Amino acid sequence: MFFLRLFRWFSLRNLRTHWGRALVVLLGIALGAAVFTSVRLAVHASLSSFVRSMDFFAGTAQKVLVRPGGYLPEGVLPVLLGHPAVKDFSPLLTTYVRRSDVPGDSFLMIGIDPLLDQAFRKWRISGDRDQATERWLDLIREPYTLILTEPLARELQIASGARLKLDHTRNSAEFRVAGILMPEGLALVEGGRVALTDIATFQEFTGLYGLLDRIDLTFKPKATPQDIEDLARKLPAELELRSPSAARDSGTAMIRAYQLNLSVLSFASLFVGMFLVYSLVALNVAARRRELAVLRSLGASPRTLFMLFLCEGMLFGAGGWMLAIPLSSLLVKYLLHGVSQTISTLFVRVQVEGLVLSPLEIAISLGVTLLTAAGAALQPAREAMGVPPKEAMEISQAGVRRGHSVRRLALWALGCILAGIPLSLLPGVAGVPLPGYLAILLLFIGFALLSPWMLERLGQRLAPLLRRYAGIPAYLAGRYLRDCGARTAISVGALITAVALFTALVVMIHSFRHTVELWVRQTVSGDLFVTTKMGQVNRFRFAIPETIVAGLKQMDVGADYVQSRRYQMNYGDFPYEFEAMGMETFLSHGGFVWLKGDPQETRLRLTQGEGVLISEVFATRTGLGIGDVFRTQIEGSSIELPVVGIIRDYRTDGGVVFYSWKHFKERFHDPQWSGVRFFFKDRASEVGGRVSALRNAIIQRWGDALDMVSGKDLRESVLRIFDETFAITTVLLLIALAVAALGITTTLTVMVLERSRQLSTLYAVGGSFRQIRAMIFWEASFLVAAGEVAGLACGFILSYLLVYVINRQSFGWTFLYVVDWGALAFSLPLIILTALAAAVPAVRMVFRAPPAALLRER
Amino acid sequence: MPSTPLNEPIIHAANLTRVYPLGDGSVVGINQVNLNVAPGELVVLKGNSGSGKSTLLSLLAGLDRPTSGDLSVAGNNLSNSHGMDLTRFRREVVGMVFQSFNLLPTLNVLENVSLPALLADKDAEETRRKALELLDWLGLKNRRDHHPDQLSGGEMQRTAIARALINDPALILADEPTGNLDSRNGMTVIDLLGQLNRTFKRTVVIATHSDLADALATRHIRIRDGAITDPSCDG
Ligand SMILES: Nc1ncnc2c1ncn2[C@@H]1O[C@H](COP(=O)(O)OP(=O)(O)OP(=O)(O)O)[C@@H](O)[C@H]1O
Ligand SMILES: [Mg+2]
Repeated sequence: MFFLRLFRWFSLRNLRTHWGRALVVLLGIALGAAVFTSVRLAVHASLSSFVRSMDFFAGTAQKVLVRPGGYLPEGVLPVLLGHPAVKDFSPLLTTYVRRSDVPGDSFLMIGIDPLLDQAFRKWRISGDRDQATERWLDLIREPYTLILTEPLARELQIASGARLKLDHTRNSAEFRVAGILMPEGLALVEGGRVALTDIATFQEFTGLYGLLDRIDLTFKPKATPQDIEDLARKLPAELELRSPSAARDSGTAMIRAYQLNLSVLSFASLFVGMFLVYSLVALNVAARRRELAVLRSLGASPRTLFMLFLCEGMLFGAGGWMLAIPLSSLLVKYLLHGVSQTISTLFVRVQVEGLVLSPLEIAISLGVTLLTAAGAALQPAREAMGVPPKEAMEISQAGVRRGHSVRRLALWALGCILAGIPLSLLPGVAGVPLPGYLAILLLFIGFALLSPWMLERLGQRLAPLLRRYAGIPAYLAGRYLRDCGARTAISVGALITAVALFTALVVMIHSFRHTVELWVRQTVSGDLFVTTKMGQVNRFRFAIPETIVAGLKQMDVGADYVQSRRYQMNYGDFPYEFEAMGMETFLSHGGFVWLKGDPQETRLRLTQGEGVLISEVFATRTGLGIGDVFRTQIEGSSIELPVVGIIRDYRTDGGVVFYSWKHFKERFHDPQWSGVRFFFKDRASEVGGRVSALRNAIIQRWGDALDMVSGKDLRESVLRIFDETFAITTVLLLIALAVAALGITTTLTVMVLERSRQLSTLYAVGGSFRQIRAMIFWEASFLVAAGEVAGLACGFILSYLLVYVINRQSFGWTFLYVVDWGALAFSLPLIILTALAAAVPAVRMVFRAPPAALLRER
Repeated sequence: MPSTPLNEPIIHAANLTRVYPLGDGSVVGINQVNLNVAPGELVVLKGNSGSGKSTLLSLLAGLDRPTSGDLSVAGNNLSNSHGMDLTRFRREVVGMVFQSFNLLPTLNVLENVSLPALLADKDAEETRRKALELLDWLGLKNRRDHHPDQLSGGEMQRTAIARALINDPALILADEPTGNLDSRNGMTVIDLLGQLNRTFKRTVVIATHSDLADALATRHIRIRDGAITDPSCDG
C-alpha cells in the first residue's frame, strides 16, 4: 500500500510535471500497440471464420473418402453399406454457382442426401417443426429445389418459395427456394454464403452423373483399426481415406504462419516504441539519482526503487495500450478486408463476416505491450536499484558521465550480429522461421549496441575537421555525442531499427515484385486465357466440354494454343497443383523462371515427357530435388516420374508440378482440358485487336459457356494483387517510421532539457542563441546520420534474411535479389528530413528555462 | 586600499529593478537599486539568502534583463540591449565564476578554458596558447587533458576562473565562488580573485555569505530584500 503512495508521490507527480515527454512516449507505444493489436485481430477474424467454416463443414465425420484429383464413383456406396465397421456415411458434392439474371458474387452450393446427412452436419430449416420437415422433404421429392441461408437470401433478394436462375460451369437452371436455413451449423459455412440442394439435383445440374466429391464416414464404436484397414482394402486402390481435419489443419497452419509473419512485422512498431520507454525511464533515473539516493538514505530498499521504475515502464505500457484502443478500432477496419483478401489469394478462401473480439487476442496484445514496456524499463530500473545512499551527500557535477563501457558494448554488439549467422541457417519450427526471427532480433540489438561506439568514433574522427570547417557548434555537438555514449544509442537504435526495416522491406518487396514480374511475363504468358465458366472459383475442376474443345482446336485465327489440365492434389499434407500442359508449344512462346537444372537440357527432357518440373515451393515443402522420383495417383492412374528441374512459381499456395500434356495422355491418362491459352504467332502487328476478335468469335459460338481473360489483364491483375498484398506492409512500415521519429523527438528534447544548465553556461560564457541552436541541430544531424548509415547496413543484412530465410521457411519461396536503388535514393533523404524535422521541438525547447537560472543553486 | 577611481564608473545602475512574475502576483528580486562601481574595485556583496545577490549579478552579466531602471556596464547600456549585442557583451566584457563551477562535462580542462574564445570566433592557435598560459599560472598545466569529473572542487573552480579570463574581460563576476569548497580551497580562489584585481586591474564583484573575501574588498555592499542598505559603506 505504501508502495502505491510512493509511486503516486514519486513517479506520477514527476510524470505530470513533465507531461509533454510522457505524452510522446505514450503516443509511440499507442501506435505500436494499435498496429500489433489490429493486425492480430484482423488475421484472427480470418482464421476463426475459416476454422468455423471448416468445422461446420466437416461435421462429425471420422474419415473422408476421396479420389485424388477427381470424383468418386457412386458405385462404392454399396461397399460402405455392407461393411460391418461403417456406422453412417454421407455423400457430398460442392461447387460454386452464381445467379445468372443478376450479376453478383458466386456462392457455395452443397449437394447432400438430406436423410443420410442428418448424422453428420447440423442444419435446420426455419419455421415450425412440421413445416420444416415438409420443406426438406421437398428437396428430395421435387427436383431443382434448394434452401438458402438467411443472409444469402437477403443478398440475392429472394424469398422462400420464389424461383431463381443459377449458373454453373456447364449449365444454367431454375431453382425453387424451398426454405431458409436457421443460422447454425452448415449455414455458417463460408460466412453464410451457402445453398443446400439434394445430391440428385446437384448431379443433374452439374452433369456429374453418378459422381461424388467425397463421402463422409463414421464408424461403429466397436470398429477396430483392423476393421478400417479391411474396409480400405475392399475399396478401389485409387481411393483414399483421409482425416476430415486435414484440409482445416493445413489451412490453419498456413494462416497461422501468415499471422506470425504479420505479427512480427507489426511488432516492429512496438519494438521501436520500446526504445522510447527506455529512453524516458532511463532519463528519469539519471536525472533523479540524487532523489533516489535520498530515498535510499531514508530507508527505501533497492527493490522498492527497482519496482518504482519498472512500474513506470508498465504504466506507459498500460496507458499506451488503452490509448491504442480507439486507434486500433480505426486501423482494424482497414486491415480486415486487406488481410482476408490476402489470405484468400495466397492460401485458402476465407469469408470474413466481421471482427471477432477474441479475449485471447486482446490478452495477447495487452500482455505483449506490457511486457515490452516493462522489458524496456528493466535496465534503467536496475540502475536505479544500484544508486548508493551516500550519493545524497555528494555534490554532483550534473551532466553526463563519460562513457567507459563503449568498447565492451561494441564487442557484445558484434557477438549478437555474428550469432545471427548460425541461427539463420537453422530450419524453421513447424513452418515458422523462429530461428530466423531470433537472428533478426539479435541483428537489431547488435546494431543498437554498436551505435555508441559508432558515435564515439564519429565524434573522435570528425572533431578536428568539424572545428575547422563547420565551426564551434558542430564541434561541440560532436564532442557531446562522443561522450554521451549509451544514452543517445537508444534513439539511434530506434532509428536504426526503423531505417533497417524500411531498407530491408524496400529491397525485399522490390526483389519479390521483380521476380513475380519475370514469372508473370514468362510463365503467365499468352494472349487469351480461356477456361470454363466459373473455372477459376471452382479451381479448374470442371473440364471444358469435348464439343467445345473440338471447336476451339479448329479456330483458325493464326494462334497457337496451349491446353492444360489442372488437378488439385495433396502430397502428404501439402496441397499442390498438378498441371499437364502443352509443353512444346508453351516453351516456344513462354517459359519458366529457372532455379535449378540446366534450362537447355531440362526443356528437352520436358518436351519429351521424361520427367516433371517442380516449383521451388514444392521442392522446399516436400524435400524433393532434381533426380528424385515424384509419385502420385491421378484419377486412378499412378504416376512415377523423375524431377528434371526446379522453377520459381508464385501462384496461390505456391506448390506446382508441371508435366507434358501430350505425354500424360500417352502414358497415363487421357486428360480433358481445364483451360487453354492462345498465343498469336505474328507478334509484329498489334495483338489487342486480334484478342478481342478471338474473344468475340468464341462468345458468338458458345455464349457464356467459357470464361475468358486477356493475358494482359491477367498479368496486370496478378501484379495488382501483389501490390495490394504489400500495401498492408507499407502501412505498418510507415507507422514504425513515425514511431522512430517520435523517438528522435523525445531523445533530443530530453537531451536539451537535461542539459539546460550546460546550455545556460554556454550562453553565459558568450555563446549566442544561434550557436546553441546550431549545436543542437548538429547533434540531431549526427544522430540521424549515424542512424541512417547503420540502419542501411543493418537493412541490407536484414533483407538477405528476409529473402533467403524468412520467406523460404514461411512460404517456401525465394526470389531474385534486386536492390531498388531508385526508391532508396528517393526515400532515404525523406527519412533524414523527417528525422531532422523531429528535432525541431527540441531546438525550440532551448532556453525554456532562462539562462539566469544558472545562478540559482539547487 | 581603495584604488583611485577613474572618472567613469564601470557599473552604473539607477533605480534598477527586477521583479519575477509568479502566478498571479510577483516576487521582488531587486528593487530600486542605485549603484556606481569604479573600475578596479573589488566589491563584496553580502546579504541573506534570497536578498537578491544573484539577481543583481545576473543583470550585470547580461544573463537577464531588468524590469525597469537603467543599467550600464563598461559603457554598454544593458537595459535595452538585445540578442547579438548582449552576446557580444558577455563575450568581451564579463567573465563569470559560479558556485557549482558549471564546467562542460564533455570537454577537458583545456577545451573548457578555450570555449569562450572559440565561441567568439577567435583564432584557435592564439586561444590555445593563451589558455595554456592561464592554466600554467593557475597551476593546472598538468591537468589540461583531464575532464571535470576527474578534478577536485578547487581545481574545477580554478579552471572556471581561467575560463572567465580567456577573453580578457574588464569585469569579473563571482556568485558564491567558495560555496562548494572547503576553506583552504576557498581561500586559494579568493586569493586568485584578489590578485586579478590588484595585479591585473580587473574590476571584481563577489557575492558571498563567507568572510573570506572581506580583507581584500575595496568596498562592501549589503543588500536586504532586494535593496542596497548602505551602498557607500567602505570596508
Ligand atoms: N527565476 C525566479 N523566479 C521567481 N523568483 C525568483 C527567481 N529568481 C530569484 N527569485 C526570487 O528573487 C529573490 C532573490 O533571489 P536571489 O537568488 O537573487 O537571492 P540570493 O541573494 O542570491 O540568495 P542566495 O544567497 O540564497 O543565493 C528571492 O526571493 C527569490 O526567490
Ligand atoms: Mg544566490
